[in-house]
Amino acid sequence: MRAKLIFPLATLALLCSGCASYSDSFSVIESDMAAQRFGAALETLERQRHPQRDRLLYLLNKAMLERMNGDYAASNRTFEAAKTRMEELRGLSLREQGQSLFINDATRSYAGEEFEQVLVHLYMALNYLQLGERIDARVEALQVDERLREITQRLPENRYTEDALARYLTGMIYEELDERSDAMIAYRKAYEAYRRYGQNYSVAVPESLKHDLLRLSQQMGLTEEMRQYKKDFRIERWMSADELAEQGELIFLLHNGLAPIRREHAVTVPDPASGHIVRIAVPHYETRPTPVTGARVVAGGAGAQAELAEDINAIAVKDLEAKMPAITARALARAVLKAQMAKAARENARQQNQNNAGAAVAAMAVEIAGLVTERADTRSWLTLPARIHLARLPLPPGTYTVKVDLLGDDGQIVSTQEYANMVIRRGAKTYLSPHWIPSTVTPPRRSR
Amino acid sequence: MMGFSFRANSRLVQALAVSALALSIAGCGTSVERMDTAEVKDLSGAWNDTDSRLVSEEMIQDVLSRDWLPEFTRKHNKKPAVIVGEVLNLSHEHVNVNTFTADMERALINSGKVQFVASKGERGEVREERKDQDIHAAEATRKPMGQERGADYMLKGTINTIIDTSGSSQVRYYQVDLTFISLADNVKVWVGQKKIKKLVKRGNLRY
Repeated sequence: MRAKLIFPLATLALLCSGCASYSDSFSVIESDMAAQRFGAALETLERQRHPQRDRLLYLLNKAMLERMNGDYAASNRTFEAAKTRMEELRGLSLREQGQSLFINDATRSYAGEEFEQVLVHLYMALNYLQLGERIDARVEALQVDERLREITQRLPENRYTEDALARYLTGMIYEELDERSDAMIAYRKAYEAYRRYGQNYSVAVPESLKHDLLRLSQQMGLTEEMRQYKKDFRIERWMSADELAEQGELIFLLHNGLAPIRREHAVTVPDPASGHIVRIAVPHYETRPTPVTGARVVAGGAGAQAELAEDINAIAVKDLEAKMPAITARALARAVLKAQMAKAARENARQQNQNNAGAAVAAMAVEIAGLVTERADTRSWLTLPARIHLARLPLPPGTYTVKVDLLGDDGQIVSTQEYANMVIRRGAKTYLSPHWIPSTVTPPRRSR
Repeated sequence: MMGFSFRANSRLVQALAVSALALSIAGCGTSVERMDTAEVKDLSGAWNDTDSRLVSEEMIQDVLSRDWLPEFTRKHNKKPAVIVGEVLNLSHEHVNVNTFTADMERALINSGKVQFVASKGERGEVREERKDQDIHAAEATRKPMGQERGADYMLKGTINTIIDTSGSSQVRYYQVDLTFISLADNVKVWVGQKKIKKLVKRGNLRY
């Protein structure tokens, strides 16, 4: 009997060592990213072995690092593979549900949180835009719509069901292709979404979006709607569509910092009824702070302030908050199940001959296995930024050197970046969307 | 009798462990199977080779059977020259439009009724070569510049989709519109259309 037991226990221990701490294994890649060594970070990622259940995360991180490395075409190929993987993971796996009940949540395949799934399309669209492939970016815009519609059907309204920045970007894509009514619908949806962002994540409606709404409603002859916007926004003067058509536009998106990281919060308490130990582990988010709170873009004597357009930090934290009841329920169910198994093993040992030490040891082993396998699911897309800032800067056609000042809390310059040879074409948008990762992102681990 | 409950539990743990182990091993080995290109195999419901083939077959049959072709030949006493313009992908997917425009080009040229001139992208390379000939080729074989045949018609088109999803079912509707536009006067001489509709049902369960 002893031999019989050691095998499954060893396997269990092995299983849990592989999934124990996804978020901890990321620190090497993180320091490479902070040093702007994206190629090295990619190599590290490739070297790290990942189980099949974490394949989506590997693909997402790889695609993001390729993007940071400036290889937009490769990034989109990897993102496309990630999309296929998400599609494969659509259905419910009874096997994985069973495992998550017996072992822990991290044994399930990672299918991505809803906001992560939408952001895949946002980043693919940005990659295509930076490659100048506007029609392919439009495909992503349509997929954003499709994805959000599916999420809206599934989730209640108080959850993440709209993505304001994704909507806003789709509006810009349509407007550049001169599809005005689609652009107008997208801008309206972005406006609606930003108003909800205001309540949920304290992100205000960007000033540039207000101008877009005014310009487009005027151009399309939606006089009543334009009047309403004028009243709501208290804006009297904006650049008309004709004026803008004479110019080009620089769209600047700053991907600032890194998204929060999931850590484990575990409670180990003795069960007062039996005197034995019960352990419950659930995840929580730890923010990775960034000193940059805004940016100023200057090109050819003109300048614009970047506004906060997406707070992934806040979205992630809220999202986990909403999912916490289900996660806790599963953890409790697991604790009960594991306690039952341990109890059965103890009963067995007691009923056996008193001097059969093997049964007692085995009983203890079952209990320990139950405790060590209780780990929280700390997986998330770790290469996402914490925040995205946006600036739109209309410019006369020409070639510019764009200077970007990254600003700290009290407006002091944290870092200055220059991008030479940015070509602005008449009636077209030029996209610039760098990532900025501070050198010390992860706060020292607190001891549990 | 004694120890029954424990043994049952031990089996359970063991079964779990073995299944977990089996899982990590599964998924090895690649298998390749050659298929006939005409065989219909739908995997995800997305645009695939079958759709492309159906579109080109329908379009080719239609374009060759219409009046514009004999009319042009009668009027001008020559075959019309066509250039492939842009087929805009306005669908939800990253569709490769080159497969069916190439199919059409091949079928039209082989029919002997239509000529194709090199498209915008292809022309550049040809001109480069001609420039090179101007310096390096023998007089007798040199091809002069300014003798390109101008196209009479341009092939343009769009792919549109409508997708309707509810739960695990999805209706995917594709519409491909292709048109020949006369470069002389912007008149559309031919409009071809192919509609494809698919019902995709996704499983609610996976392994």
